[in-house]
Amino acid sequence: MVEYRLDCLGEACPVPLLKTQKKMAELQVGDILVVEVDHSCAMKNVPEWARKEGYNVEIEETGDGEWDIYIEKTK
Amino acid sequence: METKTVVTNRAAVRPRKKRRNQLPFAIVVFLGVIYVAYLLAGKSAGLAISWIFGICFGVVLQKSRFCFTAGFRDPILTGSTSLTKAVIIAVAIATVGFGAVQYAAASKGGAIAGSISPAGWHVAIGSIMFGIGMVISGGCASGTLMRVGEGFVMQWITLFFFVLGTLWGVRHWAFWQRVFFDGAPRVHLPSVLGWPLAITLQLVVLGALYIVADKWGNRQKD
Repeated sequence: MVEYRLDCLGEACPVPLLKTQKKMAELQVGDILVVEVDHSCAMKNVPEWARKEGYNVEIEETGDGEWDIYIEKTK
Repeated sequence: METKTVVTNRAAVRPRKKRRNQLPFAIVVFLGVIYVAYLLAGKSAGLAISWIFGICFGVVLQKSRFCFTAGFRDPILTGSTSLTKAVIIAVAIATVGFGAVQYAAASKGGAIAGSISPAGWHVAIGSIMFGIGMVISGGCASGTLMRVGEGFVMQWITLFFFVLGTLWGVRHWAFWQRVFFDGAPRVHLPSVLGWPLAITLQLVVLGALYIVADKWGNRQKD
C-alpha cells in the first residue's frame, strides 16, 4: 500500500479531475491517492467520478476552502 | 444519492493551516448587505430587490455547486450527468415561469417580455467558441462570478478578460448587428405555434433530453 499526494491547489476544474484520472491509472490496487484541491467544483466532480469508478472516497477539509480527497484504488 | 465509502489504512488528517472562525466575517458581510440594500432602497425599490435577488442567487449557486459548464462538460469528461439534469430542470422551470409572465403580458395586449434573440448559424458558432472558452477558463459567467466571490484567484483573471472581451464585443456591436443579426429571424415559438403547443413542445423536448441524460449517467462502464 502506497500513499501518493497530488497537488492540485490553484487549479480550476476540470484540471484536477484530469490529473486525478491520469494518476489513478498508474496506481496499483490498494494504493491511496490524496488529491489536494481548493476549487469547489473539483470537490464535486473528482469524488463523483471516483465513486462511479467504484473506488472508496473520503473528503477532509484541511483548511478554509482547501480539501484533501482520499481515493483508494479498490480494483 | 452519494454513497459513503471509507478509505482504509489512510494517514490521519494533518490540518495545513490554523483555521480561522469565519462567523464574525459572515455577520459583518450580512449587515453590510442589509445596509447596501437600505441605501439602494432610498434610490429605487427595484435596485434593492435586484441586489437581494442577486445575493440570494449567488448563495444558491455556491451552495449547490451548480455549474452550467460542468453540465455540458461532465457527460463527456466523467460520464456524470447530475448537473446536466439540473440544467434541464432549470430550463423547464424557466419555460413555465417565463411562459406565464409572457402570456400574462401578451393577453393584456402588451409587448412580449424577455429577450428574443435572432437565431441563425452565428448562434451555433458563437456557442461552440464560448463552450471551448468556458471549459479552458474554468467557468461560464455565473460560475466565474461565484468563484470570484469564493476567493479563487485564477477566476479573477478570467473575470477581467471576460469583461475585456465583452467590452470589445460591444465596441464592434454595430458590425455584428449589421452582418449577422439584422438578417436573422427572431422566432417566438408561442407566437408561431400558439401557447399550448409551444410550451408543451418545449417541455417534451426537455423531458426527452432528461431521459437521455439519465440513461447516459447510469450507463455501465465497459
